[in-house]
Amino acid sequence: MSTRSLLPRIAGALLFLSLAATTLPRLVLIVDTARTLLPLPYEARRERQMGPWYPSVETLRREQPRHEPVALVVAPRDFDSAVFANYYLYPIRTRLFVGRDNYRNAAPDPTRPKTIVAVTADRVERTAYDVLRDRDLRAGRRVVLAPELSEPLTDFVLPIAASLDGPAPETFVIEATLVNTSAQPALVQSVFFPKGTVRKLTIAPGATVSYYDLVHQLFDVMDMGWMRIDSTAPLRAAFYFANRGRGDATRLTNATEGGTRISPSQLHRDSKLFILNPYTIPTVAIVDDEEIPLAAGGLLIRPITSIPSLGGDVYAFVTTRELNGHTDFFWPAK
Amino acid sequence: MIGVLVTVILFPLVGWSIGRRSIGEAFLFGAGLIGSILFLAGVLHLPLVAALVVVGVWGVGCGVWKFTRASRAARSQQPSNSATGQHSDPATQQPSNQLPRPTPHLPLPTILMLIPLVALTFVAAITPLSDFDGRAFWVLKAKGIADERSIDGPFFRGATLDPRNHYPLLIPLDGAVIFGIAHDLDDRQVRWLYLGFLVALALLVRERIGRLVSPSAGAWCAALLVWIPQFAVQPEGGVLSAYSDIAIAAFAAGAFFEMVAWSRGLAVSGRADTVQPRDPATSQPRDLAVIRFGLWLAFLVLTKSEGLPFALVFLAIGAFVFRKRIAVPAIMAGVAAGALLFWRMRIPAGDEEDIVRMLPTIPEKLQRLGVALVAFPRHMLLMPHWGVFWIAVVIAALLAVRVDRLTSKIAISVIVSMLAVYGAVYVATAWVVSDLIAVTADRLLMHVIAPSLFLLALSVSGAERQGTNPG
Repeated sequence: MSTRSLLPRIAGALLFLSLAATTLPRLVLIVDTARTLLPLPYEARRERQMGPWYPSVETLRREQPRHEPVALVVAPRDFDSAVFANYYLYPIRTRLFVGRDNYRNAAPDPTRPKTIVAVTADRVERTAYDVLRDRDLRAGRRVVLAPELSEPLTDFVLPIAASLDGPAPETFVIEATLVNTSAQPALVQSVFFPKGTVRKLTIAPGATVSYYDLVHQLFDVMDMGWMRIDSTAPLRAAFYFANRGRGDATRLTNATEGGTRISPSQLHRDSKLFILNPYTIPTVAIVDDEEIPLAAGGLLIRPITSIPSLGGDVYAFVTTRELNGHTDFFWPAK
Repeated sequence: MIGVLVTVILFPLVGWSIGRRSIGEAFLFGAGLIGSILFLAGVLHLPLVAALVVVGVWGVGCGVWKFTRASRAARSQQPSNSATGQHSDPATQQPSNQLPRPTPHLPLPTILMLIPLVALTFVAAITPLSDFDGRAFWVLKAKGIADERSIDGPFFRGATLDPRNHYPLLIPLDGAVIFGIAHDLDDRQVRWLYLGFLVALALLVRERIGRLVSPSAGAWCAALLVWIPQFAVQPEGGVLSAYSDIAIAAFAAGAFFEMVAWSRGLAVSGRADTVQPRDPATSQPRDLAVIRFGLWLAFLVLTKSEGLPFALVFLAIGAFVFRKRIAVPAIMAGVAAGALLFWRMRIPAGDEEDIVRMLPTIPEKLQRLGVALVAFPRHMLLMPHWGVFWIAVVIAALLAVRVDRLTSKIAISVIVSMLAVYGAVYVATAWVVSDLIAVTADRLLMHVIAPSLFLLALSVSGAERQGTNPG
């Protein structure tokens, strides 16, 4: 064989070796991996590949009715996990929402799935919207970092208590701080009206309790109403109506008695009149000469364009939103 | 188990139904035909199950009949040929009415080819699918089609997440056939399909280069192919993934070899309109080669979005090879493209790019040209993906022109044209171009593997001839 005929063979051998040098070790590795997977059932092999994430998908697939679509809500960093969850959940239909805000913005869409599945790189779980919201709020920063505390009080009314979302980024919460300045424990009873839900808590002497979302944290609901707080020891308190989405907050007043005399003020948009009955017996509110019966603890909310004349043994106030999204409150004169 | 049976029996038999050919080519034809026919049936709103039953019964029946008839003919002709030496094709030295003769047994390259294939078969049988595109797009579509038995049902109309809704459906339809027959949407059923494409591509390369260049060259090229890391062990785009890139490389290989085989006949006859009775590569009637070429192009169009420009490149180059007969493949590819566009018009788009709409933006994005131009050379030199394969191909291209000017020019034209098209897409894309290149360049290089291997084979055969020729 001549040298010239050897050349292509040598070149071919070098080419083959350059390929085999990379392929062979990796081939050995994946064959070895396959060998270790061989004794396992197929689903267990997937679990070995994907970790505990995969069993969480399988559990959901088993439990979820096939014809009930789910909303996959995922943070942008976990997008790939949602894509794979979609794959393994099929034939369960899914819709992907990157971020909770996208899900809430789709609220007007009647086809938006009601079942929410939160997807992360670690697990897939069926959950509720307010749970996701609470996670986000807990992980974020409160708007008011240095709350301005009231004088010590034992019984008072918080005229508005809300935990609500508007279209993103509007996220309304009550940021609350309660400080027991006395030397004895404060047994605090909070009643959320108009439903009258009661929660009790104890604040140790000198202790401070704070909430980033008072209504949801205390009553486990996303709702709006007002709150009566009774304490066995004087509390210094601060309540802020905060819009976490905009980083905006307005300090709320602590009412101790009824009031309807609201000074004439300029209203902007989304203006609303709030009338609440802070007493334990029914009463009648008067709005522009109209008599409106109000049950004990009742709450009336009306959209308005100007501040009406008000009367009755009730507590009334007005909210309006400036163009920049800030909410103004007009309280009654004491 | 059902998945492997469908893969190794149904697809090859359907492939054999339109003519006798090697098992690799039969598998590719079967997969292509089933996917294409079901796609057309879906576009026409014919029931997919009924279409599959018809294709299956017809294909398997014809395939079995042709296979057994050709095998009988081969057995009966063997003694008479050896006695008389008649009825042999002058180009291939084989009887013209039997199955394509297997390439001679070459132990070393055959063993080298089998080693990774056996290992990969073991791995595919054991390990679950773990790639990205396969799970995110391709197999998901197969599940959707199998579940809804439709290609424009709720799955494709936004009822569930399908990020690349407009991707062509040939391979997902093949997968859906397997899922449907198995009554199981678990991806373990379709692992064999993707392995099948690599095996079929390797066998096609072995057989066609074996006939067009030399049996030894064919066997070695097939062995090289299955050892290329990008094909064998790359987790994204390799044979253990469920990407469609090996399939498109295989269909492109089929089209390329059809064109080269025809051009070989042309070179022998010297006239474009001189139709030789037999194709030198397959020993089948040459007019069938034109139809086969058209089928390969249709498969390309229906397999991946890149398939359409690929088919156009083949048609443009093929016009010089097939001359006026290019009309037949053009019509076939046009029907496939028309069906694809019609289907796309009826369903909402996913998040894929509309490259056609972006092409006019190229002039304002010319600053990306440099990045696009170096994209392929940089990836060609990635040793973990390609070894020195592309360096060898570049050298081989220079040498091959001296061995066979016509066919090497065809191969080079296909490679350069496709890389130019892909480069233009890189310039036009709305993606961050470096990100897109990073995730696609190696897979796009896979598409031109057949002409590259052919150049290697040509150059080596030329060098060997020079080495053994004292003159």
